[in-house]
Amino acid sequence: MKPGYRPIAAALALSLVTQAVPADPVVTDSRIINDDRRVAILEAKLASLRQQVALLEDAKAIERLQQAYGYYMSEGMGDEAAALFADNPAASIELAQQGVYVGKKRIREFLTHSSFALKEGEIREAPIFQGVLHVSPDGRSARGRWRTVIMGGIAGQDGTWTEGPFENEYIKENGVWKLQKVHWYMTVKGSYDKGWHKERFPAPGPLADLPPDQPPTEKYEAWPTFYLPPYHYAHPVTGKPVAWD
Amino acid sequence: MTTKNIVTKLAAHVASAKMLPAIVIAALLAPTVSVAQTPPPPPPPPLSPALKAKLEKNAARVHEIIARADRVESVNAIRNLQGIFGYYVDKAMWDDVVDLFADDGTIELGLNGVYAGKANIRKYLYSLTGGKPGLRPGELNNHFQLSPVVTLSEDGKTAKGRWRALIQAGIYGKGSGGDWGEGIYENEYVQQNGVWKISKLHFYTKFYAPYEGGWTRASKDSALRYGKSNVRPTRPTSVKYEPYPARFTPPFHYENPVTTSYKFGGPELPKSAAGKPAPTVNTVAELEAQVRALELRLDRLKSMDDVERFNAQYGYYVDKSMQDAISALFTENAILEILGRGVFIGKDRVYEYMRRLGAPQNGSLFNHMQLQPVVHISPDGQSAKIRARLVVMFGAVDRQAQWGEGIYENTLVKEDGVWKYNHLHGYQTFYTNYEDGWAKVSSPMFAPFPQYPPDAPQSVAYDPYPALFTPPFHYRNPVTGR
Repeated sequence: MKPGYRPIAAALALSLVTQAVPADPVVTDSRIINDDRRVAILEAKLASLRQQVALLEDAKAIERLQQAYGYYMSEGMGDEAAALFADNPAASIELAQQGVYVGKKRIREFLTHSSFALKEGEIREAPIFQGVLHVSPDGRSARGRWRTVIMGGIAGQDGTWTEGPFENEYIKENGVWKLQKVHWYMTVKGSYDKGWHKERFPAPGPLADLPPDQPPTEKYEAWPTFYLPPYHYAHPVTGKPVAWD
Repeated sequence: MTTKNIVTKLAAHVASAKMLPAIVIAALLAPTVSVAQTPPPPPPPPLSPALKAKLEKNAARVHEIIARADRVESVNAIRNLQGIFGYYVDKAMWDDVVDLFADDGTIELGLNGVYAGKANIRKYLYSLTGGKPGLRPGELNNHFQLSPVVTLSEDGKTAKGRWRALIQAGIYGKGSGGDWGEGIYENEYVQQNGVWKISKLHFYTKFYAPYEGGWTRASKDSALRYGKSNVRPTRPTSVKYEPYPARFTPPFHYENPVTTSYKFGGPELPKSAAGKPAPTVNTVAELEAQVRALELRLDRLKSMDDVERFNAQYGYYVDKSMQDAISALFTENAILEILGRGVFIGKDRVYEYMRRLGAPQNGSLFNHMQLQPVVHISPDGQSAKIRARLVVMFGAVDRQAQWGEGIYENTLVKEDGVWKYNHLHGYQTFYTNYEDGWAKVSSPMFAPFPQYPPDAPQSVAYDPYPALFTPPFHYRNPVTGR
């Protein structure tokens, strides 16, 4: 290295050091890191912490919203469940192979259709659990995979066990978290008396008297056919997508 | 894998787990020693008014974030509390259950009246298992705690929660394979000296049905069996209703969250902290210390969600036998122990283990559902423990279906900022053929794979149900610390 370049190299090195300094709390040079600078660093950190706590709050609000949906659906309260959806025109619901209903008005028509009302002696207990929730870094939207197991049937007749995952989306409208998209995949539905291995039911298709706005986004068959509802998330360690070929 | 390899991996695993405390102790001791040897620093020069104003402004920001974190932490604590309650109820650990209640707490199960105060609650719960705590021989009392809707009060001192219980009960060899129960909790909680307790537990029974025939064929009185006791309640039933097949919706403690514009948190000081003084910050160094503490605290809170999500992801991968994705969740030296298969050490061994479960194919069902997480993060935020419940829905089309249930006690560590399993331990409670039910036939302990022997034998000796065994808890009773 020529001697003439040394001051430039030294200045470069110094600038690197000063750039590294903000992240390092152990600072001795009070000319570079005076109290004002230290407070400025802390202010930046506090702004970040404020965003972080907001995201934690968002996750709690979204779980509560999702569970509220589950309780309403179990009780046949389709009107209340429909009210949980966002007002923007892209909000949608798609259950099993019934097709997609778009917009809050259509979602309400679907969820208040007679097939969702609980008939005399009917039960439809549907706990929701095993959440994989990802809130977007800007805190305006989120995605969640959940699982439900449904204990169904009509008193005096054969009951049913049904299971499958949701891949849902959420949106914050005017500071309130709402359902943007509910998409439930039916993995399996079986007879209670005989067991799912002996008697199975296909995923229900579109309603004849209330056709959907769009056909099912994915064509699949319930168990015993194998189907992997796509994950909305990459692998938590490798960061790569996970799917079967 | 060679024996040497296994020994090295085991040693590395033990080192990573056991060395940590030593490092922490060393880190704690170091500053103490140096402080004792150096003279006290000269008093700092007085702050300029401008700087003083800035410190005050930032102290207010710290105050706000702490108060918001408090509320998030309260929801997490209540979720853990209810999960812990369920795991104690599983084993009729009534003394531990009673300790989760506030002194003036109440319990009401089904239509059996209200029992008020710890003494009455204890007497009542004992009566459910023949007058003393603990399961009776051959008894199963699984109470899954699911689907929380937690609502924190404005002052942050009380909360309400709606939950669902799914119950697997019965006495081995009696009845029709067991009982399936289900219903709704509407509970209340109170925070006393920083500890959340149950102040009111109210379970609305939907059904409690013999395994054979299930809920749709159960007799009308079947549901009334749940929680029935000859101990006189303190007060009569608070809400009269008829369980299924009658129609009854247990009242909601909350309004529709969207039509009422429900918000949790937001960029302002929560009402629970209004009127309380902001932390005093006299120097920049003090503010730095506050911010550092807050960074760790929020990181640990985030880890609660991260670890629960991670465990849920594991379950979804196992559903579909995704061996690569599953083994990538483990550290290089992780330990895996599931049922009676023995102990497997190292990520490559985990992969081989998972390969034994076979590729997914049409006609096979392998649902591994993950329920009821109870999560604790270490003080330094670098490791975590989770207890979770496993429910298996197995199927081979036209041939066989099974129910299985068990408990996980898993340890995770953060490596380069990423959570991984360091130890996964699945305990077998029961597996039963669908036609039988757990109270009729419970499979013996799963043996090691014949072609794939473990690196070490089973670490905890126990028999599955109908033997009585409580998988060890990674946590103490959250109220008593016992």
